[in-house]
Amino acid sequence: MYFLIAGDIRARSDAWLVGEAETLADVSDNTPRDNLYDRLVQEVAELATHEVSDPNLTGDRQQNSVFFLQTQPTEGPIWVGPAPRERFLQAIQAAQLAPGTPANVSVDGWRLPFRVVFRDRGKGKGIYLGFADISGVHMLDRLTERCLLVWAVTVVLGFLITWAAAYRTLARVERISDTVSRIGSEDLSSRLLEGPHPDEISRLSRTFNNMLDRIQASVHQLRVLTGSVAHDLKSPVTSIRGSLEVALSEPDRSQWRERVAEAIEGLDRLSQMLNTTLDLAEADAGALQLRKEPLDLAALIQQMVDLYQPTMAEHRHQLTTELQPVLVEADLSLMNRLIANLLDNEVAHLPAGCCVNILLQARDREAEILIEDNGPGFPLELRDRVFERFVKGKASTGHGLGLAFVDAVAKAHGGSVTVAERAGGGALISLSIPMVEVLREKVVR
Amino acid sequence: MRLLVVEDDTAIRDFLKRGLTESGYLVDTARDGKSAEAQAGEEVYDGFIIDLGLPDMDGLDLIARCRAQGHSAPVLILSARRSVDERVRGLEQGGDDYLTKPFALAELVARLRNLLRRSAAPQQEATRLHVSDLELDLVRREARRGTELLQLTTQEFALLEYLVRNAGRVVTRTMILDHVWRMRFDPATNVVDVQIYRLRNKVDEAGNRPLIHTIRGVGYVLKEA
Repeated sequence: MYFLIAGDIRARSDAWLVGEAETLADVSDNTPRDNLYDRLVQEVAELATHEVSDPNLTGDRQQNSVFFLQTQPTEGPIWVGPAPRERFLQAIQAAQLAPGTPANVSVDGWRLPFRVVFRDRGKGKGIYLGFADISGVHMLDRLTERCLLVWAVTVVLGFLITWAAAYRTLARVERISDTVSRIGSEDLSSRLLEGPHPDEISRLSRTFNNMLDRIQASVHQLRVLTGSVAHDLKSPVTSIRGSLEVALSEPDRSQWRERVAEAIEGLDRLSQMLNTTLDLAEADAGALQLRKEPLDLAALIQQMVDLYQPTMAEHRHQLTTELQPVLVEADLSLMNRLIANLLDNEVAHLPAGCCVNILLQARDREAEILIEDNGPGFPLELRDRVFERFVKGKASTGHGLGLAFVDAVAKAHGGSVTVAERAGGGALISLSIPMVEVLREKVVR
Repeated sequence: MRLLVVEDDTAIRDFLKRGLTESGYLVDTARDGKSAEAQAGEEVYDGFIIDLGLPDMDGLDLIARCRAQGHSAPVLILSARRSVDERVRGLEQGGDDYLTKPFALAELVARLRNLLRRSAAPQQEATRLHVSDLELDLVRREARRGTELLQLTTQEFALLEYLVRNAGRVVTRTMILDHVWRMRFDPATNVVDVQIYRLRNKVDEAGNRPLIHTIRGVGYVLKEA
């Protein structure tokens, strides 16, 4: 702002200077030769007095602030101004002024440069009017002082305001820090107070609270899981130990083989349970590693059905399929296990002589697998919790991780699985995963 | 054939040594990477069995070092890490086969034998296989017991072919699932057992002598009784 004001003042001053120079040029033209010098002195003195309004600047200073120079081709120049004239003449000549535009000319011995305008009157005649703007400079000095003062006050005020605001905000953050550090693994239930203001700090508090909710849920689940795993390990371990103990006490060598073989089979089942538990833990942590590749889902299901067909027949079940060849991007190993789990469940839960049908079709951009049976269906009390770990029917001998695994794998592929009661009785499991494209029309078997 | 077993767990190392010696191999053992490397430099081995979880270096590093020193014998990797990614990485970095713990000794022996056979002589593609009076025509996909043609499904034929190719050797359910159905996991239901029972009914009924036998705690074997 300072520069704007200073610029305006300068422009105004220049305009005045140019105007006065023009006036003096006219005076010079119109005044007879004899009177010219006196007339000019008079004019110059008037200018000096006129411009300097400050009563403190009196005396010589006034005289020294204006000069008039008229150059003539044939005679010597006319000079009205402070001594020594020569210095001024040198400075003016050195400056090489363009006509009409005021410019600064520095003269030895004077602190301030003179603002000089040159008017070319033609035929070698030129007029120079110079003005050392002492009062203007004085005014600008005062302006500078005042601007600096205002600026300083603004800075201090700004600093105080910012500091006060930051202090208050940081105090809130400090309170959050304190509260969070007090929440250890023992006291996961306490939460932060969300403030009344809808600002970033409140959001921060809310985010923290959400995070604490999730952590608490995870810790709870971890406890449940490890408790369940430990519990579920106990029975198989007990029976394995039992087999081997009996073997030790058995005098008949042929019986040893039986017992030891039993123990090995028990260990195989245990190993399978541990693997599935690990997979589920990985899925929970979002760390289930998928190696996706393009798969013909119909071919995959058919292969699994072929594998299970004899077992189904053993239980006098009828297993039928209606498979539309569709292409999905999925992990081969996990999908195999997923289908196997679903079929394992059918075998485990159906009384002899049921019908099982597997339908695979494209629906929108998803591949939908419907597996339904006409068996007893899901027990009412379990229906909501069927995808949780270690939830199994009363008659089941499994470890209860099968559907939890199916759920985890479906979700990891961006799909979902639900259970329902089939119209007409029985269970209906509905699984969807994103599909790439349809390959061919349905194949019914 | 001389093998080097590199495994830091003493119990596993001992049972591997005993089991492989019983299968007819000469077995040296090492309990960490450095001593394994030293031994590999001193003896010529026909095969390596390397556990990835060694105390002084990653098993994959050891394999890389051995390969760099010019030991080209096949390597069977043992690892507790189950993910397919780990398996692929192991095979890419110089392992020839990969077995996850816990494993059945029978499976280890079978895989090892395949590895060693591959490196020894090129396999001759047979068009006919036979054991006792059982004959398989691999081109026509037909099986006969004596003169009687067996009515087998495609699956059953594939299963029988696998058993015949491994005639006289025990194969585990895991191996059967892997080679016949190309799946590497254990279903909770005994699907493989049922497949075998069905096949056995068809194969053993047709002849005088039973050929398919159950070995409790391990798996199945096809041989004359």
